[in-house]
Formats: sequence, structure tokens, C-alpha cells
Amino acid sequence: MTQKNRKYEYSVNEVPPTGQLFVLSVQHVMLMVMSLCLPILFASQLNASMEFTASLLSLSMLAVGFGSIIQSVGLPFIGSGYLCPNLCGPSYFSLSLSAAWLGGLPLMRGMIIIAGIVEMALAPIVQKLKRIFPTYVVGLVVAMVGVSIIKLSVTSVFGLAFYGDAIRSVDIFIGAISLMIMVLSNIWGKGFIKMYCLLIGMVLGWLLALILVPEYWYSLFAVKSSPTFALPSFGPEFKRITFDLKMMIPFIVIAISGSLKSFGNLLAAQKISEPDLKEVNFAPIRKGLLADGLSTSVAGLIGGMAVDTSSSNIGLAGATKVVSRWISVVAGIIFIILAFFPKLITALSLIPKPVLGASILFSGCFMICVGLKEMFSHSWDSRKTFVVGISLIFGLSTAMLPELYARAPEFIKTFFTDPLPTTTILAVLLHQIFNLDKVFSRSKK
Amino acid sequence: MFYISNQTMKSSDRFNLYYNPRRIFLNTRKLSPIIILVFLILFSTGCSKKYEDLDLNMYKYRDTKKLVKFVYDAAQILERDGIASLDYFHNNRELFTTKDHYLYIYDMDCNNIFHSGMENLENTNLISVTDKNGKEIAALTLKALDDPNNPHAWVHYSWWEPGKFYPVPKSSCHFKVTTPEGKEFFVGGGINYPQEEQEFIRIIVDGAAELIKKKGHSALAEIADPTSQYNYRDVAVFAFCPNGDIVISPVLEDSLSQIQLLECADEVGHKPFLKALNGLKTNDSVWEVFLVKNRFRRELIKKCMYIRKTDLSGDKIYVGAITDLPNPP
Repeated sequence: MTQKNRKYEYSVNEVPPTGQLFVLSVQHVMLMVMSLCLPILFASQLNASMEFTASLLSLSMLAVGFGSIIQSVGLPFIGSGYLCPNLCGPSYFSLSLSAAWLGGLPLMRGMIIIAGIVEMALAPIVQKLKRIFPTYVVGLVVAMVGVSIIKLSVTSVFGLAFYGDAIRSVDIFIGAISLMIMVLSNIWGKGFIKMYCLLIGMVLGWLLALILVPEYWYSLFAVKSSPTFALPSFGPEFKRITFDLKMMIPFIVIAISGSLKSFGNLLAAQKISEPDLKEVNFAPIRKGLLADGLSTSVAGLIGGMAVDTSSSNIGLAGATKVVSRWISVVAGIIFIILAFFPKLITALSLIPKPVLGASILFSGCFMICVGLKEMFSHSWDSRKTFVVGISLIFGLSTAMLPELYARAPEFIKTFFTDPLPTTTILAVLLHQIFNLDKVFSRSKK
Repeated sequence: MFYISNQTMKSSDRFNLYYNPRRIFLNTRKLSPIIILVFLILFSTGCSKKYEDLDLNMYKYRDTKKLVKFVYDAAQILERDGIASLDYFHNNRELFTTKDHYLYIYDMDCNNIFHSGMENLENTNLISVTDKNGKEIAALTLKALDDPNNPHAWVHYSWWEPGKFYPVPKSSCHFKVTTPEGKEFFVGGGINYPQEEQEFIRIIVDGAAELIKKKGHSALAEIADPTSQYNYRDVAVFAFCPNGDIVISPVLEDSLSQIQLLECADEVGHKPFLKALNGLKTNDSVWEVFLVKNRFRRELIKKCMYIRKTDLSGDKIYVGAITDLPNPP
């Protein structure tokens, strides 16, 4: 075991005592369960049976658990070795649904496998990216990882289930109180209080929601009707895998975008776990992307939904100063075990939205600030001002002006998708262009 | 723990000790029975099932549920307190007018008894009132109140906001009330720019299927009539035969366009009608989701279709309608 690093409660390679390891992992699991609404929503939009929904949920959880383990356990050729758990990837949701409508679950599985292979193929290229990712661009990408969760966290804090629906003041109150408990436990608390700030905020926020909103209380009755133990049943749709050339390009595009997002997440995990690194160490990032691609392919292979790295969990690690990768491994194991216990899953999936939103917002704060600190940690010049300014403005515009991009030319639509990939692509390109004079002067010499 | 004599303490020390957060925390242990009691009271009030008799599970949106509860609460007052409660409604208009909706009460001859938003309508008979599209609103409401398939008596029409000059789409729900004096009223309230609930098309499609079964071919004209309850906003009930031949078109007259319904595909090549017919082999009704383009959105929009099978003079026929699906925020 490594020497205890005082910057952290538990550093990246440190193994916390068993009891703490378990509770810390549960804290991360509670953040990861939010993504479980995706397989449920997916099955409901396919008008699938309860049996199908349960199987899809279990298999997706197995894929998430597997992904979290290989990402963090520290295998020689694969996995970043950072605390970076997986979750069901929201970016793949719409496309997976399209594939399932077109060719059922077998086609969705096939296309997810392809997407995973594309992600794996992109991983070695990252090693070559060292020159095009200067420190301030890395900082910008990490900050954008935090920015990219704004929509999800704020709509959840407001308790919004559907676009355009009514907002209840009580939900905002519950979200605000949960957030305050998390933040105050983090800044005023010490030891356990600080380490478990998110868990404390979530539990107390949940209790408050049960007291104030009868709806949340009644929803708990669903736990009673869920079976305690169940194995996934493999219907005919889980036994075939098909491919379709028509779906290839959209899935490749989304795989590239997913890789960029995971790249940002892994950079953030590295900054949080090894802040003393003078420059980015691309070896664990490459191995992390490889693990991400493999988990996505495995998800398709076993019949689950595509997985992705979780930015919220990285933010939580940074906020609590508990960055032990073993937490991610145990969280993965817990997820795999939970996959066979529907009662527990149902209970966890009933955590009120405002409470979950508060926890994501809490994690996002840390990601944004780590990125900004990194960005401004070195000398600044007008080149950097324009690289960051232009890429940030266009990146954020994709979220602020979606209607504008809906009418934009096709090639713009392809690259200007979300704030994170758009900002990353633009920052890398502009950095190269604005430094062409330096390249010429070097070549003259 | 520590002990400091009162005599040796300065007043500031005493203040600090008294307001020491640690001490306050320890003192709260004495308060624990009170805290538990407060929690129990909160729990018991939070868990009271005020709307036990009101099934709202069919609605997706809070706005819709809120409106039904708002009208239901008022109906409960009228049912409990009878005609005397009308004074209460008149004297407390502000309680029955919110930012999103207002309340009205009519007798069964459609005389307006109370209108919290448009006072000038009170004591007026509105039986023959139509909206700008020719929908007979009061008549449709009376029909809806008698329809067991429409438990909250939904009516969709065009109206206007008090004091404004432009039409707004509106959906209203109603409850029939019999007062202790034996007099019948209906209480209603509507929402402007309503969300498109799936339940709304379930009601009209099931109603149309029932009508076709009962009246045969003569029902088709009534269903296709744009002023009937089977058509509102962009929603229209359509009907087709098992081979795909259209009986009532979902978009326009057959003479203008021969749509091959079974071959119709959405933006990703999914054939919703064909898939729906497969589902209808084993079920009486199915929901089918499909994707459409919207110029103002970069992603495809999800829509859904509800189809029910019925009999038209001994032949099998399918009746359906299309609406929007709720989108995640």
C-alpha cells in the first residue's frame, strides 16, 4: 500500500478499510443508479414486456459493473486505473432506440458492438495527441465535462420529468436543501462527514422528500411488488445479433463523440488523482479509452445498453478527496450483485429527482473548478484568449441555441453537437491555427 | 466533557459556552421526543390519501393532474355543502382562479352559475355556444359527462383568455355533482395550451370504435366531422381496413392522396402500422411509437399512435389516432 498522501483522505492506489470502502462505494453507486432510468425508458418506448425490461436492466447493470471494474482495477494493458465508474450512456440512447425500432434488440446489440470497436480503435490515436492538447486546452475540456451536466442536474433539481411540464416549489426546496447539506458537510465537515457528504445529503434529502411529497412516499410501494431475487431471462431477442450498414455512420459519429466525452472524463480523473503531474500522461488515458470501448462492446454482446464513463462520480471523488480506484471496483461489484436483486434496484431507482439533481450539481461544481484552475495555471496570452473564447462560445451555443443548429448545414450539424465535443474539436483546431507562426519560425531555425 | 464554574466565567465565555454548537447538538438529544413527534405529524399529514378515489395514473403531466385535482376539490365542496356553497364560490373567486386555470359551475341545462375567470358569463345560458371552429362546447361537455369511457369528461376546444383578443387551444375536465338537495351541476376547469396526453387519444379512439360497432357506416361521417369530439387541434381519429385501405384518412381526403398505410415508414425506416397490426393479432388495442422530423429541433421527435380494432357491419376495421409523446427535459 502506498504512503498516505495528506492531500487526500484516500489516494488513488490506497485501499480504504473494508467498512469504509463499502460505504464509499455505496455512495458512488447511489450516483450511478440515476442512469438506470435509461433502460427502463428504452423498454417502455418499445412497448416491451415487464420480463424484457427486467432483463435489459439486469444486463445493462452487468455491463456497467464490468466496465467500472476493468476501468479501475489496474490491469496491465487496459483500464485507466483511476476512480472512474461507468453508467448507461445517455448519448447512445436515441440512436439505440432507432436501431431497436428498425431491427429490434439484435440490431441495437450489433450496432453497440460496432460503436465499442470504434472507441477501441480510437484509443491508440490518443497517445499521439500529446502535442495538440496543451495544458490550458486540457483544463478547458475538463471544465466542459462539468458544464455538460448542467442541463441534467438543473432540470433534475427542479424535479422536471417531461419537457414543458409544471414545476413544484417543493421539489426546488428539496433539491436546494439536499445540495446545501452536501456542500456544508463538505466544507464544514471533517473525516466521515466530509467523506460521506453526498451520501448524507442524499439520505436526508430523500427523507425530506418522503415527508413533504406524498407522491414519493406512495412510489415506495413499488418496492413491495418487486421480486427479491431474479435472474435475467434470455428471450429470443437476446439470442441474436444483427448489423445494418445504414446505421453504421450515425453509430460511428456517436462513438467518436462518446470517445471525446470519455477522454474529457479521464483527463479530469487524472487531474483529480494525480494533480502534481506536470503534463498529461496519455498512457492511462489510452488504456481508459480502450476499457471504455471494450465495456461498450461487451454491453452490446450481452444484450445491455451502451455504457459510458461517469463525470458525476469523478466530480464526487474530487469533492470528497477520496480518489481510491478500489471504490470504483467495489461499486462495480455492487452493481453486478444488485443486478440480481430487483427489490433493491427498485428502491434505489426511487430516489427523488431533485435529490439526484443536487448530487450531480454538487459533483459538477468540482469538475468546472478543477478545469478552470488547470486552464489558468500557466501564463496567459492573446492566443489562448481567442482559442478558449471562440471554442467556448460556439460550444455553449450548441446547448443555448439548439433551434439554430437544427437549421444549420449538415456538416455543421455533424460536428456541432454538444458543448463538450464541440469545444474540444474547436479548441484543438484553433490552437493549431493560432500557433502556425511559431511552427514556421521553428521550421526556419 | 468539561465543567467551568459560573463564578469564574466571564460573560463572553458564558455566551460562547451557551451558544457552542457542540453543546446545542448535545442538548438536542433532550428534544428528540419532540423531534420524533414533529416527524410523525409531518408523516401522517404527508401520507393522507386526499385523492384516494381519484385515479390519475393515466396522465403523464403534472399540469393535467393538477387541473383534475383543482376541479375535483371544487366538486367535492359543492357535493358536500350543496347549493349554500355557491355563495362561498362567489365570495372567494380568487381561490378558484390561478395563473394556469379558473373554475366554472353550470347546471345541467348549461346555465352558468359561477365563473371565476369571466364573471360576465354568469347567469347566461351557453348551450348553443360554439368555438371559432364551430365546436358546440356545452353540448360536447354534456356528452363527455355521460361517457363512462371518459372518466374526467375531457373536452378540447378553442377559447380565449379573460381580457385577451387571440384564440388559445384549451382542454377542460369536468365532474358531475349531485348536491344534498338533489340538484345536478357540473363543475369544470380548463388549461390553456394543454400538453397532449396519451389518455386524450385513448378516450376518442375507444369512443369512435364503440360508435362504429354500434352505428355501423353511419358513424363514419360523425367521426370524420371536424367539429366532433373525435377531432381536436392536430389530432384526428382515422380508420382503415386490415389490407390498409383507408376508411377515414389520418391526413386528408382519399381523393387527393392514396396513402399505403401499411407501407408507411418513419424517419428511421420503422413501419408503425405494419407493426401495430402484428400486435393487434393478439390484442384489442396497441400503442406504437415512431420518429418524425421537426424543422426546429435537431433530434427526431417521438410520436405515438393508438389503434383499436372493432367491427364495421361484420367486417374487421382498425380505428386510431396519433399524438405527441412526452419528451424528457
